[in-house]
Amino acid sequence: MAAQHGTAAGRGNPLDRKDALLGVMLIAPTVLIFCAVIVYPLVSALYLSLFRIYTPTLQGNFVGFANYAELAGSPEFWRSLLNTAVWTVLTLTLQIVFGIAAALMLNQAMLFRSLARSLILFPYFVSTVVAVLVWRWLFNDLYGILNHAAMWAGILDMPLDWLGSMPNSMISIVLVGAWKYFPFVVIAVLARLQTIPEPLYEAARIDGAGAWSRFTDVTLPQLREVLVVVVLLRAIWDFKEFDLIYLLTGGGPVIATQTLPLMVYKEAFGLNEMGRASAVAVVMMLVMLVFMLFYLRVNRAQDQR
Amino acid sequence: MKRSILGGIAFNLLAWTVVFIVAFPLVWMVITSVKPQFELFRIPPTFWPEQITFEHYTRLLFETPFLTYMRNSLVLSSATTVLVVGVATLGAHSLVRFRYRGREVLAQLVLFTYLLPSVVLLLPLYLMMVWLGVANSLFSLVIAYTSFALPYALWLLRSFMQGIPEDLESAALVDGATRMEAFFDVILPQALPGIISTCLFTFILSWNEYLYALVLVNTDAARPLTTGVMSMLVSAFNIEWSLLMAASVMMSIPLIIIFAFLQKFLTRGFGAGGVKG
Repeated sequence: MAAQHGTAAGRGNPLDRKDALLGVMLIAPTVLIFCAVIVYPLVSALYLSLFRIYTPTLQGNFVGFANYAELAGSPEFWRSLLNTAVWTVLTLTLQIVFGIAAALMLNQAMLFRSLARSLILFPYFVSTVVAVLVWRWLFNDLYGILNHAAMWAGILDMPLDWLGSMPNSMISIVLVGAWKYFPFVVIAVLARLQTIPEPLYEAARIDGAGAWSRFTDVTLPQLREVLVVVVLLRAIWDFKEFDLIYLLTGGGPVIATQTLPLMVYKEAFGLNEMGRASAVAVVMMLVMLVFMLFYLRVNRAQDQR
Repeated sequence: MKRSILGGIAFNLLAWTVVFIVAFPLVWMVITSVKPQFELFRIPPTFWPEQITFEHYTRLLFETPFLTYMRNSLVLSSATTVLVVGVATLGAHSLVRFRYRGREVLAQLVLFTYLLPSVVLLLPLYLMMVWLGVANSLFSLVIAYTSFALPYALWLLRSFMQGIPEDLESAALVDGATRMEAFFDVILPQALPGIISTCLFTFILSWNEYLYALVLVNTDAARPLTTGVMSMLVSAFNIEWSLLMAASVMMSIPLIIIFAFLQKFLTRGFGAGGVKG
């Protein structure tokens, strides 16, 4: 009887309840570490944002919401927020478009397909530091191969300053971001493509659908669910990107490519305003919360199915 | 028939051109690292090196603190991986196979922390390390790295462990094993491929981390590769690209090894959501 009840509930066996204490003991180390390195710092970030703190001495005094008021009146903050939005939308769009295209390509029969897949995935796993060093060498104004190739092909008349002027530097970080992160989309989409039943395509072909309408009428609807997840995750991760932008342009020229994470770092360790930096981090967190909660909802809905 | 063979050739050419363009920056990194210095500054640049040299690698290993950075990165990433995967294996087992109040909330919380940006935790963690008096050490980085590696490993292991049939454990319990015996004798062997793949992803994640290392450590003795190599770039009067490309190749070696020999574990991880940016 009890066993039947357990399977009917669909989860765990009937001993589970009796062993709840053991279960709690097994999760206890996780919970303790979570409290120390995540919950406490999170609460602490909110608290710090109410103080004016001088970074080198870490001395400060309570100022209430003055940091937030200052941010609201600071053009630099709004510019950074705008930059973050521009960077996220542009690089995310490219990642999705390239990612789907590459996944479709790698799903076809081709020579040495598994080698091709590895090569396409590699940028995603390589350290951002490595990616940035390589791209800065490619972008180099005197000896960079990109300028030479473009001039040789007649696209450019003279070397281009890829990272030091606008709008080039925004375009450059968006392109490098797309190159580095589109394999994530490839992995997710490729896995889903392999599960689309072949008869769907045959039926479409019999109905006289061309390649493009087979893509829009069969493939895209099948990819919808995975694309929602991918777009949300990538939006969250692109929004908080620090390494790639900081190392490529440092937010420059001036603050033209400075996103919110870079502003947090600059306020805290460049301008020694630890309190105001925390306020920027909290605001950034609040914006991201919308995406995060939305993702949690989507994840739960897909989990239940 | 003939037409489709032609189409196949055209498609292969196109596809491999795309693959080559995507892989080109990394190919160029390797080529640059074995070119002699004088060939680097030739205008127009040569594609294939006229002569191959490993002088940049020997200089990197013997005349720069590169080996210290590498050792730091190995210690740091291994320590983080062992700590995090150890704790997360127990935690994930608890989340999947036990029932108690707050379990679902906890699982949601794990996913939430998995998405949390490091920048938000950065400043409080920095203050914490200063107060604890452990700033500027590998130990402080291990603590900081658990803040992103633990939720990640936990989430990954949870989805691996959900794939283990419940009947296996039930059968062991019917045979008279205790819950912990069943865990060690039945669950762990079943979860092993998932645990290995979680270890690999956690290791890569720690190996590539930059922001915490930038803020928490500013001595060469405790710097990992990411910030160490960037400081070589900043400190040099003329940027020595061949040296930096050699460093980039060396930094990517663990990845190349994983890609070459352990790829089945990587692919397994993709299915469980093992990719994070």
